Amino acid sequence: MIDSGAVGRWVSAPGAYDIVTGKARYCPDLDFPGMLIGKLLYSPHARACIRRLDVTAARMIPGVIAVLTHADIPGENSYLYAEPDQPLLVVDEVRFQGDAVAAVAAIDEQTADAALRAIDVEYQALDGIFDPLAAMQAGAGQVVAGKDNIMMHKTYRTGDVAAALASAHVIVENTYRTQWAEHAFLETEGGVGLVDADGGVTVYSSCQAPHRDRMQIARALGLPESRVRVITPYIGGAFGGKDEAHVQIHAALLAHAARRPVRLIRGRRESILTHVKRHPFIVHCITAATRDGRLLAVKARAIVDAGPYSNATHEVLNKFGEFIGGPYTVKNLEIEKIAVRTNNPITGAFRGFGAPQAAFVYESQMDDLARKLGMDPLEIRLLNGVDTGTRMYTGVVVREGKAMKASLRRAAEMMGWQQRGELGRQPATHLRRGWGMATILKGSGMGRGLPDHAAVLLEMHRDGSVVLQSGAADMGQGIVTVLAQLAAESLGVEMSSVHVVRADTAQAPDAGASCASRQVMVSGNAVLRAAVPIRDSLLQVAAEKTGVARDRLVLHGGRLHVDGQAHDLTVAELARRALFRGYPLQSEGRYELEYPADAPEVTYRYSQEVFQFCTQIAQVLVDCETGQVAVERLVAVHDAGKMINPGGVYGQIEGGVAQGIGYALTEELRVTEGHTLNASLENYVIPMALDIPELEMDVLEMPEPLGAPLGAKGIAESPIIPTAPAIRNAILDAIGRPLYQLPMTAERVLSALDAAPCADPA
Amino acid sequence: MTDMDIRLTVNGRLQHAKAGVMRTLLTVLREDFGLTGTKDGCSSGDCGACVVVMNGQVVNSCMVLAAQADGSQVTTVEGLASNGELHPLQRAFGGTWAFQCGFCTPGMLVSCHALLSSNDNPSREEVLTAIAGNFCRCTGYQGVVNAVQQAAAELRSANAEAVLQHD
Ligand code: FES
Ligand code: FES
Repeated sequence: MIDSGAVGRWVSAPGAYDIVTGKARYCPDLDFPGMLIGKLLYSPHARACIRRLDVTAARMIPGVIAVLTHADIPGENSYLYAEPDQPLLVVDEVRFQGDAVAAVAAIDEQTADAALRAIDVEYQALDGIFDPLAAMQAGAGQVVAGKDNIMMHKTYRTGDVAAALASAHVIVENTYRTQWAEHAFLETEGGVGLVDADGGVTVYSSCQAPHRDRMQIARALGLPESRVRVITPYIGGAFGGKDEAHVQIHAALLAHAARRPVRLIRGRRESILTHVKRHPFIVHCITAATRDGRLLAVKARAIVDAGPYSNATHEVLNKFGEFIGGPYTVKNLEIEKIAVRTNNPITGAFRGFGAPQAAFVYESQMDDLARKLGMDPLEIRLLNGVDTGTRMYTGVVVREGKAMKASLRRAAEMMGWQQRGELGRQPATHLRRGWGMATILKGSGMGRGLPDHAAVLLEMHRDGSVVLQSGAADMGQGIVTVLAQLAAESLGVEMSSVHVVRADTAQAPDAGASCASRQVMVSGNAVLRAAVPIRDSLLQVAAEKTGVARDRLVLHGGRLHVDGQAHDLTVAELARRALFRGYPLQSEGRYELEYPADAPEVTYRYSQEVFQFCTQIAQVLVDCETGQVAVERLVAVHDAGKMINPGGVYGQIEGGVAQGIGYALTEELRVTEGHTLNASLENYVIPMALDIPELEMDVLEMPEPLGAPLGAKGIAESPIIPTAPAIRNAILDAIGRPLYQLPMTAERVLSALDAAPCADPA
Repeated sequence: MTDMDIRLTVNGRLQHAKAGVMRTLLTVLREDFGLTGTKDGCSSGDCGACVVVMNGQVVNSCMVLAAQADGSQVTTVEGLASNGELHPLQRAFGGTWAFQCGFCTPGMLVSCHALLSSNDNPSREEVLTAIAGNFCRCTGYQGVVNAVQQAAAELRSANAEAVLQHD
C-alpha cells in the first residue's frame, strides 16, 4: 500500500508556496487589533538577591498596560514540564543570567523599553558557584537553597568491569571536555497571547510541544486546560531548544493581565542568554581491548554542568549513558553520571540529547585504541560492531542493525578509504591532510517505559478533499509533509488534496512533543490507522456501485482502479455517495509504540530500541602554522528505515552535518563567572555557506520492525552526532596528535602541535 | 523630535512612512507596510534574514536607517513573483528542499535573485559567495545551490527560446 504514489517520492512541502512568497507567518509576523508588545526584564548579575522590586513608576508610564512581577502570577510561578523548578519570574533570588525578574506589555517597543528602564530593582550581588567540580565538594554552598548541588548521580553497571580491565591487553584512558553549544534557530523564541471574550486564553507558540505548552500555560494562569488553546504558526527552527517552554507562558500571563493581545519575541542576545544550551561534559573514559582489538570493557564517569534548574538534564544524561558504549558489542560497562547545579547557563535538549557528547568520547577512544594496536579504524569498528540480534550493554536486543556495518562499508567505499593516502598527505610544507571516521547509533522514540503515542483526526469531504488534524509541531523538520504524503497515499488522492492543519490544541489530539526523532513513527502510523475506516467506506460504496468485489478495487491518484485499470469513478464521487449513505468519512487514528515484553531483560532504564545507525568520514586539511582545519570532504551514510520523504531525509542529513561541523570546530558559548561573553551571531561562530564542503550522502533503507507497518525510523538527530568525532579522528590522522576537547579551534590545534610539532606524514 | 517623512518605492509601489531616529528600513517594511516576508534574525547585521535589494544593492535592511531609504527603490521577497506567477527561483526552492523552516528563505531568495540578474550561469562557488552572509541553521546550503542552478538553467533556456521566437 505504501510503495507507490506520494510516499518515497521527492515532493515539495505543502507550505512551500507560503514560504517562497513571504506569506508564511511566524510568531513575529502575527498582528492582532490592539496588540501590545511584551518584554522581559533580566538581572545584570548571574547570582543576586533581590532586595527591592518596585514597579510603580513603570505602571505610571502612558502606554504601559501591564507590568507583572512574581506576585501577579495567578497560578503557579514555576515551570518546566518534567520537574517544575524554574521560576517564571524570580521571587527573591536570581540564579543565572537568564532568570526573568519582571514582564511588561506596552503599546509599542519604545514604551515597553521605557517600562523596563523604569522598574526599580535593588540587587545584592552574591558569590556565584560556577565550577561544577568545586560545587560537588562538601561546604561549597548551595546554588538553590535547600537542594543538593548534585542534581543527579547514577551509576549503571553490566558485566564485570574490574576483571575485564585486569585481563585487557591494551587500555586507553582519557579525559574529554565538551562545550556549551547554542541552537541558534533563526527565529528566536516567541509567543502571542490572546484573551477570549469569556476569559479563555489562546497562545500562538513557536514550540515543539503544543499540548505540553497548554498544560504549562494553564498551570501558570490557574485555568483548567480546557480554557487554554495553543496554536503553532510557522516555526523557524528549534533543534530541541524549543522543547521546553520559553516565553509563551509569559505572553499568556501578560495578555491575561492586559486583556489585550500581547506579542513577546526574544531578541537575539536575549535568546542566547536565556534558553537552554547543550550540556558541557567532562568525561573520564577507560576503554579496554584484547590483543586483536576486541572490546572488553568501557568505564566512564561523566560530570555535567546543569546550571541552576533541571530542564532536560536527566534525559540528556540518560541518553549519554545509554550510548557511551557506541554501536559495539561491549559485555562489561560501567557508567557513572553526575549532574551538578551551578549559576551558569541552563542546559537541556539539543538535537541528540547527550548522544553527540557520548559519540565524541567513544569514537575518539576507538581511534586511539586502533592506533595503539596498529589497526585500521575501519577494521576495528567492523570487528566490534553490533548487528541484527546483538544484545547491547543496555540489555536491548537490536531488531534491525544491518546498517551498522553496511553504513561503514558504504561510507568507506564512497570516500575511497583504502586509497585515501594517494591524494597526498602533505600538499605543502605547512599543510597536513588526514581522514577520520565515526560510526554511531541513536535511538528514536521516548524509550521503553515512557508514554510514546500520538493521535490524529482525518476527514474527507464530499469533494474528495482531506483535512488532517495533528498535534505534532513542525519546526521545519517536515512532519507536515510526511503526514500529508501518508494521508494522500492511504486514501488514494493527490497530495494537493490533503490539507494538514498546523498543530492547534483546540482541534487536534495530542501527539506529544516533536523530539527524539519520534513523530514519523508515531504520528505517521496514526495516519495510516486513521485512513482505514475512511478507505473502507469509499471502497464499500465503490463495490456497491460497480458490483465488483472489494479486493479488486484500489484508490489511487484521486480515482478508483479496478484490477489495476483506471475507472470513471473519482474519489470525490465516492466520497459524495458515501456521505449520502451515511458511511463514515471521519476517523481518529491512534498509535502507540509498543515494546514487546522484554525478554531478555532490558537493564538500562528508558532505553530506546529503534536505532538510527550511520557513519560519516571526513577528509581534513590542517594548516600547521595557523591551526586552521578545513573540512575538504565529508561522506555521510545514514539509515532512515523506510524513507517517506527523500527531500526531507537528505535535508536533515546535510543540516545535521552543518551543525556538526560547527560543534566540532567553532561553536562555543564562552562563559565566565556565569556571564556569557559571546551572545551574538557575530561572536558565536556558526558555519556559513562557504564553510561547508559539498556533502556526499547516501541513505540506506532498513525497515524497522518496531515501527511497523510504516517501517520509518526518524532521522532528525543522528546526522549531527558522528561529525565532530569524525573530524577529530581526521585531525589525528593528519597531525598525529589527539584532541580531547571541543570545539577544536585553531588555538587548540596549535597547542596540540606545540606539544609536538607537525609530525612527518606516516 | 520630529519624524522625517520618507517616500520609497517598494516592489514597484510608492509608499510613505515616518522615519523616527532609530527606525530601520526593516521595521518600516514590516510594521508600516505589512511586508512581513522580510525577517529579523538578529537586528545586528549578522544573519541576512532581512536582506532586500535597495537601489540595486543587496543590503541587510536591519542595518539601513529608514531615513537613508528615502527616495530609494526596494525589492523584497514579496516582489519576486510577477502577476501572481512565481519566479523560477521560487519554484526551484520548493522543489529542491532549499529550506526546512523557511525563516532564512526570504533573505536567501533575494540574495540569489540578485545573483541571477548579473550571472545567468553561476558556479557552486559563486552561489555560495552570493549567500555567504545569509545564515541558515536548518540546511547545509546544498539545496540552495541546486535551486539556483536549476532556476538559472530554466531562465537560460527561456531566454534562448525568446530569442528564437524573436528571430
Ligand atoms: S536581521 Fe538583519 S542581518 Fe540579521
Ligand atoms: S531553513 Fe531554517 S534557517 Fe534556513
